[in-house]
Amino acid sequence: MLRRHGVYMRREVVVLEDIVKIYRSGSVETPALRGISLKIYEGEFIAIMGPSGSGKTTLLNIMGLLDKPTSGRVYIDGIEVSKLNSGEIARIRNYKIGFVFQSFNLINRLTVLENIEIPLIPRGIPRPKRIQMATNALIRAAGDPSWLPKKPNQLSGGQQQRVAIARAIVGEPPILLADEPTGNLDMASSRIVVKTFQELNKTGSTIVVITHNPEVANCTEKIYVLRDGRLIGEVSPDPSKCILNM
Amino acid sequence: MFLLFLIDIFRMAVKVLTERKTRAILTIAGIALGPFALVMISSVIDGYGDYIVSQVQGLGQNTIVVFPSGNNKLTENDLNNIRSIPGVKRAEPFYSIQGQVKVGTETKIVFIYAIPPDLVFESISGLELEKGSIPSETEYLKAIIGHKIAYTDDGSVAYDLGDVLTITYLKSVNGRNEVKRVSVVVNGVVKEFGGAFVLSPDLTIILPLEAGQRLLGLSDWSGIYILAENSNVVQDIVREIQSRYRGVVDVVSFQSIANVINSVVGAVNFISFAASLSSFAVAVAGVASTMITSVIERTREIGVLKALGFRDREVLIMILAESIIMSIIGGVIGITLGMIGSHILASTGVTIRAGPQAEIVIKAPPKITVFGILRATILTLMVGIAGGVFPAYRASKIPPAVALRYE
Repeated sequence: MLRRHGVYMRREVVVLEDIVKIYRSGSVETPALRGISLKIYEGEFIAIMGPSGSGKTTLLNIMGLLDKPTSGRVYIDGIEVSKLNSGEIARIRNYKIGFVFQSFNLINRLTVLENIEIPLIPRGIPRPKRIQMATNALIRAAGDPSWLPKKPNQLSGGQQQRVAIARAIVGEPPILLADEPTGNLDMASSRIVVKTFQELNKTGSTIVVITHNPEVANCTEKIYVLRDGRLIGEVSPDPSKCILNM
Repeated sequence: MFLLFLIDIFRMAVKVLTERKTRAILTIAGIALGPFALVMISSVIDGYGDYIVSQVQGLGQNTIVVFPSGNNKLTENDLNNIRSIPGVKRAEPFYSIQGQVKVGTETKIVFIYAIPPDLVFESISGLELEKGSIPSETEYLKAIIGHKIAYTDDGSVAYDLGDVLTITYLKSVNGRNEVKRVSVVVNGVVKEFGGAFVLSPDLTIILPLEAGQRLLGLSDWSGIYILAENSNVVQDIVREIQSRYRGVVDVVSFQSIANVINSVVGAVNFISFAASLSSFAVAVAGVASTMITSVIERTREIGVLKALGFRDREVLIMILAESIIMSIIGGVIGITLGMIGSHILASTGVTIRAGPQAEIVIKAPPKITVFGILRATILTLMVGIAGGVFPAYRASKIPPAVALRYE
């Protein structure tokens, strides 16, 4: 890590301070996160692992400003978000965060190009410029701009996920959040997606991947382990057990 | 920048609608019914109304007729009294009866007036002689006859100038009705007047005033025919006569008939407007149910858009755009069909029967106004907004984390 960042001060892109999240259903309270503090620096490639029900997705939703913590503070790229209204939070999501979902979440009625363009629409970027940006993003994420006029359901799962990655990076957000990005993919497709993340990371993207697959987690630079809503440790990945080296 | 966003939003909305074509078409059809009915019905009613009013006004905007009511009689004193009212240009008594005339092989019901004929031509501006001349006051056997008396229905001449024409009419003598026949000489023929409401110049025989007593044997005036100096004083004169002769006479002006018709047309139009509002209300429900279904189906997609940075407001506009586009399409279709339909409906005409032979067929072009189109357009747009706003608001408020979990 130091080889890339040298002696420079590293920018904190995500800071979580004592995050607690309790789901209430009637009088029943279910704690999902029980006090999580975490700093993610610019250029890091991190995995968050844990068994199902450990609070991984909740944590990612809070980092991604899709959900609000019951208590605690969230800073995104230096901005404290708890006092912002939903419109301002949407703007921060748009400019600062790229999402990759387990089930891709592409819109099948739109073409690949139109899917990738979506985050640029609220920015008011004119269409010709958007097409250019979307094309560049797809080349970076997949290397193949010939998919642009196709509909997502004409592509394989691995290809769709790379379109989703292109959509996540098209607005050049400083943070990329991926929730089980290989969860719906076979081995070969998973390899391609992980490889894509590694390459994006090499060109400067900060990436947080939630996974319960150790073969994916071992491809990152740092693994946080989550259990019962608490971070119970930090593990160094074993590159020999990375899916790309097997 | 916002305009750019709107263009993108509308493009996306169109894609959503084309994806669910059947549903969109059915919803649009439901929307189109309102403007269709409203434009069609109200422009036909307005067209007929305008036609009737112009017909009535064509009979003389400055004309007032006073009839004795009940067993009252009008006398020379009353005539002088009315002549003294300011604004009265001329006032003359008249006799009128209904009779029958053979025209070709057909017997027609005609209206016979004994009245200074020049007054009639002075008060009804559209009335002109086709041939012949107006008889003088003393030539009480000479008549001016309407176009439909001079000519048969197929256009051939039934009575020409100088011809003798026999009128059959009923006269009550000592409480008994007696059939009487009189013969007059045709001295003039009136140009075709057309249409005509209230009274029909084409089926009228005008005789000099003296003919009333001498020829027809009538003892009492049927009424007094008044010509006002201009249409502005008509109401004042009517009021003045009513106050001087409360309960003794009935006062009729074509202007007030026109006003009555106008208000009746207005009322009918309002009722049809209110009735067509119900189809707009049904359309609101249709749009709302379509949009709610559409929004529920796309909950997850809305979550994705929000995750990617769409604000609540932008999601709201996007959903609303869909219902507004449907209402615009429905409005255009409905108004266009309504305009076509109004021509078809108006061309069939309306027949008003006043008796076995007194049939009036109204045929008038529909009156399509900017106001009518605008009213239908605004109402249709409101259907789109009203039907879409609740589903759109609901969609915009779904928390993104919840929407993304939706299966």
